[in-house]
Amino acid sequence: MFYRLSGVYHTNYISDSRIYKVPADRNLALALLVLGVAAPFIAPSLYVNSYMLPWLIWTSAALGLNLVTGWAGQLHLGYAAVMAVGAYSAIHAARFGVPWEFALIIGGLSASVIGSLFAFAALRAKGLYLALTTLAMQFIMDWVLTHSPAISGGSHASLQAPTLKLLGQEITSDTGLYYVALAWCLLVTIFMLNLKRTGLGRALVAVREKDYAAAILGVHSFYYKIVAFAMSSFIGGVSGALLVATFFFLAAPEQFSVAVSIQALAMVIVGGLGSIIGSYFGVALILLVPGLVNGVVVTASEQLGMQINVETLAHIPNAVYGALIVIILLIEPLGLGKLYGNIRDYLMVWPFDQLRK
Amino acid sequence: MKLLSTVTTVAFTTMLALGATEVSAQDKEPVRFGLCFDLSKSYTFISPQVAQAAQDLAKYVNSNGGLEGHPVEAVVRDHGNEPQRGVECYEQLKREGIFIFNFLSTPVTNAVLPRVMKDGNILMQSFVGRGDAVDGDVFKWVFPVGPTYWQQAANDVAFIKGQMDGDLSKAKIGFIYLDYPFGQEPIEILKTLAEKEGFQLELYPVPLPGSDQSGAWSKIRRDKPDYAISWLLAGGHVVAAKEMRRNGFPIDRYLSVNWLNEVDINNIGAADAKGILRGTNVAGGQEVPIVKTMLETYYAKGEGSGPESLVRDVYYNTGMAIYSVGFEAARLAIKQNGWPLTPESMKTAYESISDFDGNGLMAPVTVTASDHGGGGKTRVEQWNGETWVPLTDWSADYTDVVWEIIKESSAKFTVK
Repeated sequence: MFYRLSGVYHTNYISDSRIYKVPADRNLALALLVLGVAAPFIAPSLYVNSYMLPWLIWTSAALGLNLVTGWAGQLHLGYAAVMAVGAYSAIHAARFGVPWEFALIIGGLSASVIGSLFAFAALRAKGLYLALTTLAMQFIMDWVLTHSPAISGGSHASLQAPTLKLLGQEITSDTGLYYVALAWCLLVTIFMLNLKRTGLGRALVAVREKDYAAAILGVHSFYYKIVAFAMSSFIGGVSGALLVATFFFLAAPEQFSVAVSIQALAMVIVGGLGSIIGSYFGVALILLVPGLVNGVVVTASEQLGMQINVETLAHIPNAVYGALIVIILLIEPLGLGKLYGNIRDYLMVWPFDQLRK
Repeated sequence: MKLLSTVTTVAFTTMLALGATEVSAQDKEPVRFGLCFDLSKSYTFISPQVAQAAQDLAKYVNSNGGLEGHPVEAVVRDHGNEPQRGVECYEQLKREGIFIFNFLSTPVTNAVLPRVMKDGNILMQSFVGRGDAVDGDVFKWVFPVGPTYWQQAANDVAFIKGQMDGDLSKAKIGFIYLDYPFGQEPIEILKTLAEKEGFQLELYPVPLPGSDQSGAWSKIRRDKPDYAISWLLAGGHVVAAKEMRRNGFPIDRYLSVNWLNEVDINNIGAADAKGILRGTNVAGGQEVPIVKTMLETYYAKGEGSGPESLVRDVYYNTGMAIYSVGFEAARLAIKQNGWPLTPESMKTAYESISDFDGNGLMAPVTVTASDHGGGGKTRVEQWNGETWVPLTDWSADYTDVVWEIIKESSAKFTVK
């Protein structure tokens, strides 16, 4: 009923490799896009600038991480370090006078170079060993940031970003910044959607499943691993730069610490490895739910007139949030993306499949 | 059905509660302070005490006529030390009409700073965030009343100079610090002062989180510095005390940054910690008039805003100091420019605070338009086994050197 499959059949390869094979999916995506574009006019400004904007940027970053972890199957524990490289090089470039458009690209490219440099070292190691190598990258980056005032910006290591300026326009309003984030997230999403159906995407999947089996098929796994690291680092670098340019307006080492790397990985895992819609859900859960639950608990206790100690009040949301993650992973170990997939599958031919039962 | 009925009950109770608050609200609008604190992660060693002090003080002020008749409200929220959630907290409270904020976390304060500067709201950031924010000419809306880490370190050197009969030329001062921005901050000023006063400076970095200090202290044993200035936190002091005993370094030559409290003392052992030194801008102990009043008025009757153990903690006094300055500024603002209180009137009032010491609670502060730190006076207190005993009077030394560093650093802040 919701997904009209009648008349949907593919007679050639091009039609079969469409992004949206069922029109309903495409319509849903379009409706969400319209909502996304209209958000600044329909949603309260608080939601736009402190929930949706970071959500979009982190989703782009998570998609980048999903590329290397979900598609190419390489566990990455130093993603925040890659984002830091992007953020710091873009800001330094912008402070130096380079236009923001190029500064962002410089950020992406330098993140890409550093990211794949570590990938080289990492490629001799696999699985958990690789994870530890990327973790080492994170710690090296932390050390560099806290020990080189020239990079981190001196006093208490904070580096102010110049005002974001794109295509000659200074972007300062909440709406403008939101659209920048939306545009970048859309770009990354479209790239990822298309990646799935290219030879490159299939090669990455082959490498993920078994790298020497891929080699037997003629897929050069070494090359594709490097490409995956480089692409994901580029996305991470630009996302990191945009995170600072549109949200924090100032870069500090704590914004890219090891805890953030773990969070990013959690976003991808809770969302679902290799799932695009899952990345959106995963970021929402990891990034936004703690604040939202906190708000709900505080409001509830205030409205009910409960006299709760501030410290207890701060820990209840943490417990709820932790429980939420455990429950979700218990219900569906493959993440929120799969959970969505299950609902979609159930509704696919609903209610006609009920007739058979 | 059960779920539905629960929901209805909750909704109904909520409505009742809402009605009730409307009826009991005071005639005059409240002055609201936003406390977005880290109550669940890294800063939990201090934030509960400060929040409790703010709530107690607000309660006390309200039952004594309020600020020029207006009640004070301390709105406490948790941000878990995550910059993202700190920004969210700021944006949310800002929309609820709050314009006086404190985040009590360096990463979060740094993340919110650009927004506060742009929106023109008041940011209280004593002891956290960038040190150069005391420069009121650059950081117009930031009020880090209290000493910067630079000033604290300079005052520490002045104290040591006093102890060594005014001559540091033969002295050797060790600096043991956590090897990240918090601990690294005083290095520059210590180097400058070493050159100026001719003492030998030895640096002993300790990796985070400060639980492994054996390398640093065996070096200290070899170097035998006259004093060890310490920029460690919480558990770091406990480990340091253990290492001092092992390496035969006298604990009364250990001069800590203001972050050393009764919890750390108890972990070291109250008797073992006897003699430990602490540079501070806040008087420690419970004999301080305002703390005594709180204990008598509220805690004796079990009406405090939290457990009494948190009051018997020097960080409670720190919180009292932060908020008595904040409340005083709000009171002055209403007195000078009347209601409604605005960020502008609050700023003017802050800058007119002169020689305010909260009735013996803290070093007297005089905030001016260019010095938002209030002068940066501190003193050195010693733990006598039971409480803190002041060794010196409130003073700020080498202020010219400190301000040179502040100006040099703050000049880099402004970007187009």
